[in-house]
Amino acid sequence: MTSLLTLIVLLPLAGFLANGLFGNRLGNRFVSVVGCGLPLVAFAVTIQCFLDLQAGGTPLLDTVYRWATIGEHTFDVAFRFDRLTAVMTLIVTGVGSLIHIYSTGYMKEDASYARYFSYLNLFLFFMLMLVLGRSLLVLFVGWEGVGLASYLLIGFWFEDPDKARAGKKAFITNRIGDAGFLLGMFLLYQVLGTLDMDRINAAFIDGPQPAVSASLVGILLFIGACGKSAQIPLHVWLPDAMAGPTPVSALIHAATMVTAGVYMVARLSGIFMHAPEASALVAAIGVFTAFFAATVAIVQTDIKKVLAYSTISQLGFMFVAMGVGAYAVGIFHLYTHAFFKACLFLAAGSVIHAMGGEQDIRKMGGLARRIPVTFGTFAVATAAIAGLPPLAGFFSKDEILWYAFASDRGGATLLFVVAAGTALLTSFYMFRLLWLTFFGRSRMPAETERHVHESPPSMTGVLVVLAVLSAVGGFVPVPHYLEAMLPLPEVVEGRAALQTPLMFLSVALGIAGLLGAAWMYGGNAERAKRLAPTFATLHRLLSGKYFVDEAYDRLITRPLFWISDRVFLRVGDRALLDGSLHGLAGLGRRTAGTLARIQTGNLHLYAWLALIGIVAALAWSWPHG
Amino acid sequence: MDNLLLFLFGATALVSAASMLVLRHPMRVALALIATMLSLAGVYALLGVHVIAIFQVLIYVGAVMVFMVYVIMLTNVRDRSFTLRFSSLLLPGIAAALVLAGLFARLAAGGLPAAATTSAAGRFGVQSFSVAFITQYWLHFELVSVLLVAAVVAALAVVKVSRRAHG
Amino acid sequence: MDSGPALVALGGGLFVLGLLGVIVRRNVLVMLMCMELMLNGVNLLLVVFAQRGDSIAGGALVLLVFVVAAAEIGIAIPIVLLLARRRHTMELDAYTELQG
Repeated sequence: MTSLLTLIVLLPLAGFLANGLFGNRLGNRFVSVVGCGLPLVAFAVTIQCFLDLQAGGTPLLDTVYRWATIGEHTFDVAFRFDRLTAVMTLIVTGVGSLIHIYSTGYMKEDASYARYFSYLNLFLFFMLMLVLGRSLLVLFVGWEGVGLASYLLIGFWFEDPDKARAGKKAFITNRIGDAGFLLGMFLLYQVLGTLDMDRINAAFIDGPQPAVSASLVGILLFIGACGKSAQIPLHVWLPDAMAGPTPVSALIHAATMVTAGVYMVARLSGIFMHAPEASALVAAIGVFTAFFAATVAIVQTDIKKVLAYSTISQLGFMFVAMGVGAYAVGIFHLYTHAFFKACLFLAAGSVIHAMGGEQDIRKMGGLARRIPVTFGTFAVATAAIAGLPPLAGFFSKDEILWYAFASDRGGATLLFVVAAGTALLTSFYMFRLLWLTFFGRSRMPAETERHVHESPPSMTGVLVVLAVLSAVGGFVPVPHYLEAMLPLPEVVEGRAALQTPLMFLSVALGIAGLLGAAWMYGGNAERAKRLAPTFATLHRLLSGKYFVDEAYDRLITRPLFWISDRVFLRVGDRALLDGSLHGLAGLGRRTAGTLARIQTGNLHLYAWLALIGIVAALAWSWPHG
Repeated sequence: MDNLLLFLFGATALVSAASMLVLRHPMRVALALIATMLSLAGVYALLGVHVIAIFQVLIYVGAVMVFMVYVIMLTNVRDRSFTLRFSSLLLPGIAAALVLAGLFARLAAGGLPAAATTSAAGRFGVQSFSVAFITQYWLHFELVSVLLVAAVVAALAVVKVSRRAHG
Repeated sequence: MDSGPALVALGGGLFVLGLLGVIVRRNVLVMLMCMELMLNGVNLLLVVFAQRGDSIAGGALVLLVFVVAAAEIGIAIPIVLLLARRRHTMELDAYTELQG
């Protein structure tokens, strides 16, 4: 049944409305049941649709209604369920439901419990619309909607102006990317007359090439993806977004929303396959971002910030895969990343919960014995992200590194070298995080140390599930499942033999990172402290995140403020607009004042004026008969 | 003969009217106006429109001017306007009036309709005029009577208001 | 001799004199009387043209003007009297409150 797709999308929307309108009145129990129950039902429906897809073979299509008819142009709201959508929807509903369940434990004490769940459900609604949409228009609605939900959730504790500002920053940076996205959409519509993505792909793959540069469209669309998926230069919002509640960071800024850019590129693979320049740009920015973010992550001291930069770095990896034409592999990494990154974030939330709100890892240490479940799941997920076999991260990361080296659609040795370096750094900083947080002697203040406790089952249960998925999820053959619609690239001549050696290399890199971190931060991080002064300048550069935010502020924000204030406000608004209006009013007033002087109250004057009027009328009508 | 009388009456009217503008005492102005009106009545009679001549005397002189004279008698006229006859717009007024007079003269020089062929007395005799008036213009007559009623009511209202205001 | 032009000139002259009187005389009652003079001038013109044009309409209009003049005087004089009672003067310059 095709209307199941609409049901998937509408269930979270119902949750949003129910919790938003009645949540406060009906209590936390109602909110939890509705807020978690509806996404779980959506997950079940998704599984049903997946089975239908397997049975039928053709993608499910559900045209909901005709949105607009403008002249001869029509725009429908339609949902389409093919293999790629199946993978994405299962991730979104599955991991999403788990995070909803986790939130019931994490946000239990919060006063705005109902508002939180209504926003979370709203996010789910838009994200599902994004992945299920058939046309770019529906996708864009979902795109903007998740941006809105992200803003609402980052600034959830809006009474704190810094948090509210973080929300604004995320939204505005997204919008800058959206400008490129919209231009790409316009171009596509003008040339192809349709925004349905399956038709767009078909137009580029079979048949004559459309009369538009695929690279131009690809670059424009990729600008949008940069904004949403936090690639350079629009990455600045993601670290600040950690101001929101930790489950939000897990769901939105790790597992689902930020992957929307990756999904969009994969969905429009038809364009990118015929756009070598755009693909090269995607790969270049992806690998540069990955490396850049990894270097910054090494020195971060906030547990969530490390994970934020790690997310940026892993998204870079996904784009590397996209850039070399291995779309299915990028999606595979998206899938595994959802598991281990969500697990990492939620475990970090568990740590923060145990520490009573502390997020600075310099004030942690020795937690492994105190909160064993959290420690265990965090460790598994860390190993996964480092790429240690047989965990999920190993499979996906290894495939990306392989195709970065050997793909015939853009694979290059330099690409591989930088990506491999990033993988080494990834393993290093993740194990650094693990060591500083959980091992060694405790650096906690006594007060906090007394209250350290394991999280409730609603939280630890989810952690265990995600850890298990991080461990075994790699055995699901996602790239081969997607190969029917996203064919893997061919391997360059002569490099095929290097596949196994490179696999060993990537494992070695993972282990090297682990050992390096253990050596540096083991014991009580003595060696790190001793080495710190030698690298002081580098440390300062990395701690300041390469001062990108400051550069943006100096180069863009302040000039904009200056122009807005000096030119638009003072000159344009006050002097010109207000001035002209006041001037007109003043002119009216002065004219009226002058004319009013005729009314002296003297009847003689009035009679005389009447006489003058008669004379004038007669004189005027004289020549006219 | 007729023309001489016409000239006499016309001259009287003009002179009386002119003197209205310079006489000081309002009573004398009123008398000058009465003289003008009577002269005009004479002109009307000489032209043959007897009905109008009669009504001129009856209404204008007999009612309006009598009323005017009563009022002048009942008021104290020895105020500043007695000595200072003219307003501040004397010279501009005279100038504009001369211009207007000139314009009228130019207009009138353009020509007048031809003189009547039938005797005016026939048409404007009391009986024939009255019959024609009542048969053709009876609606105007009724409307004007409504106007008179409105004037009476207005006068009453003005007096009553003033009485309430001043006790 | 055709008296028409002279009479028309007389009528126009009476009208102009009346209007001039309204403008130059200070006393309110005198102004009212000059307004009557204007009406008389108009009446004369109407009569002359009615007689020459051989039409009753002019005569009917003259009668109506009589009535209107009477009604006008009937209301104007009480108003003037009431105003004069307040200000104790008959000159127009005292009544300039409706200015500006």
